[in-house]
Amino acid sequence: MTRGTLIYIGQRLLLITLTALIVSSIVFIGVHQLPGNAFLSERSPNPSAEQVLVHHYGLDRPWPVQYVSWLTGVLHGDLGESLVNRGVKITPLVLREARVSATLGFWAMVFTITLGMSLGILAAVKQNTLLDYVASFCAVIGYSMPSFVTATFLVLLTVTGFFAWSGGLVYENIGWGKPEQIPVPAISLGLLPSAIIFRLTRASMLEVIRQDYVRTAWAKGLRSRIVIIRHALRNALIPVITILGPITTGVITGSIVIEYIFGIPGLGKEFINSIANRDYNVVIGVFTFYAILVGIANLLVDLVYPILDPRIRY
Amino acid sequence: MATSPSSFEPDTTFVATDTYEVGEQMSMWQDAWRRLRRNRLALVGMAIVTILILTAIISAFWTPYPVWIQSLGPTYQGPTAKHLFGLDDSGRDILSRLMGGAQVSMIVGVGTATLSSIIGIVLGLLAGFYRGWVDAVVSLLINIFYGLPDLLIVLLIVAVTQQRGLQNIILAISLTAWLGMARLVRGQTLSLREREFVEAARSVGTRDVHLLIRHIFPNALGPIIVQATFVIPAAILFEAFLSYLGFGVKPPTPSWGAMASEGYRSLQFAPHIILIPAAALCLTLMAFNFMGDGLRDALDPRMRR
Repeated sequence: MTRGTLIYIGQRLLLITLTALIVSSIVFIGVHQLPGNAFLSERSPNPSAEQVLVHHYGLDRPWPVQYVSWLTGVLHGDLGESLVNRGVKITPLVLREARVSATLGFWAMVFTITLGMSLGILAAVKQNTLLDYVASFCAVIGYSMPSFVTATFLVLLTVTGFFAWSGGLVYENIGWGKPEQIPVPAISLGLLPSAIIFRLTRASMLEVIRQDYVRTAWAKGLRSRIVIIRHALRNALIPVITILGPITTGVITGSIVIEYIFGIPGLGKEFINSIANRDYNVVIGVFTFYAILVGIANLLVDLVYPILDPRIRY
Repeated sequence: MATSPSSFEPDTTFVATDTYEVGEQMSMWQDAWRRLRRNRLALVGMAIVTILILTAIISAFWTPYPVWIQSLGPTYQGPTAKHLFGLDDSGRDILSRLMGGAQVSMIVGVGTATLSSIIGIVLGLLAGFYRGWVDAVVSLLINIFYGLPDLLIVLLIVAVTQQRGLQNIILAISLTAWLGMARLVRGQTLSLREREFVEAARSVGTRDVHLLIRHIFPNALGPIIVQATFVIPAAILFEAFLSYLGFGVKPPTPSWGAMASEGYRSLQFAPHIILIPAAALCLTLMAFNFMGDGLRDALDPRMRR
């Protein structure tokens, strides 16, 4: 790690912080202009009790004052307290849920990259064979399949089919906490992006494989594994890596729906619940965290570049 | 006189007349259409899209059964002759609701593509043409929003405004969808404004508005159309996600996402309730993607042979 890289990382982290700050401020101010609050929906029988609550959260103060005190808290790493579940601090809650979402996202990305790239390479190397046609056809379908549709099919196939056959409970394998509960949601999340990676890898591999230096490598009598992996793949991967940033963002976004479907206690489920409950403090906290998560994921992707392409230096 | 087709002798018959024979003239659009017609997948996509639009229009006037009528028969009933796609969890006709859902999807898709294109084109043109502070502001907006999960923003807008109407959903999706268009148009404008024909127009005193509308915009139209075509499936998908999560159009208005969400609960014993809207959604997205790919190949000058 050179000094330049460290400076680059520092700059990017600063930018992420700045984005998170700006965005959360916009959301904060926007949300606080709206009529109604989380307590209204509970139909508190006692107006004075509601007064106490409003005062406890400082909602009776003018919004610029609230904003300053909220911002001070954020800079100290304190995102405030949930409006619905009293006494629940948002920072530890969100940190815990972010770990769940990150785990799911990580495995989804592992699946996406492994499947998309390996099939892409195979299809390019064995161009115009049955394997190429079948894989390309599947990619065309996968490209247009929303994650909840994939999830439905997977649940039908694996959970319903397999467990009904084995005599187990049908939905017992849906949830979170056990390692065997990771694959189904991770695959649902990763199938569509893997189709994108497949198409890109195949196209870029086909282009590289026809270049002179690859022909030279074949002519030298190198084994095919070495030609493809060491010579062709490394160059073919560069355009693929560029799309990993948007794909990471897509996977993180998609996890909102997947977490909702499978009841996974991550950031996405929390976001939807807190929006439904008008728990604005949690909404702002989760939103801020998403901004940070996406920023860091994209930074990690950008740090992979120089490994593959030494011409790129930060 | 020309002796044979392979001869390189000039055909003198044409010199005798005043008019100049030019080979078959073809505008850029005719050329694009010719190439699009040869693309079989794109044609399939266009056919499906046409059927969808027709279905959406028909469903505004007629569906086999009213979309909201419950208890038409046994709930969760599978496909029968009377109800081609079966009945859902409250005994509503799925075929009728599927048609109504097509209408919602098309309105959201086309509406979002239109609105986000207008925002994106105007901001992109201004940013690329005037540069300076206009560009700085637009670029900053794009950079901030580009790094955020768009579904999150849409959910937030829809949920916070508490409006569940189609207009609000279109507006919310457009507020994130204009980014791509603005980026594209800005880039196109930046390169087009330096070209000779723009300079020529400017040197004869053409006003800025005229330059933008008559000279720069038409030359960026190809990529703009392609981009707008890809916004439609993205918006349809967003609407489906929103209604799947319960933030879409108000029930009983049918929406494919909401139908799939209802069907998920009965996946075990009545899978047709979720599979039919899911298949419709996949087919629609696929059709638009085929059409978009075809248009890109037809309109992208770099692919010209």
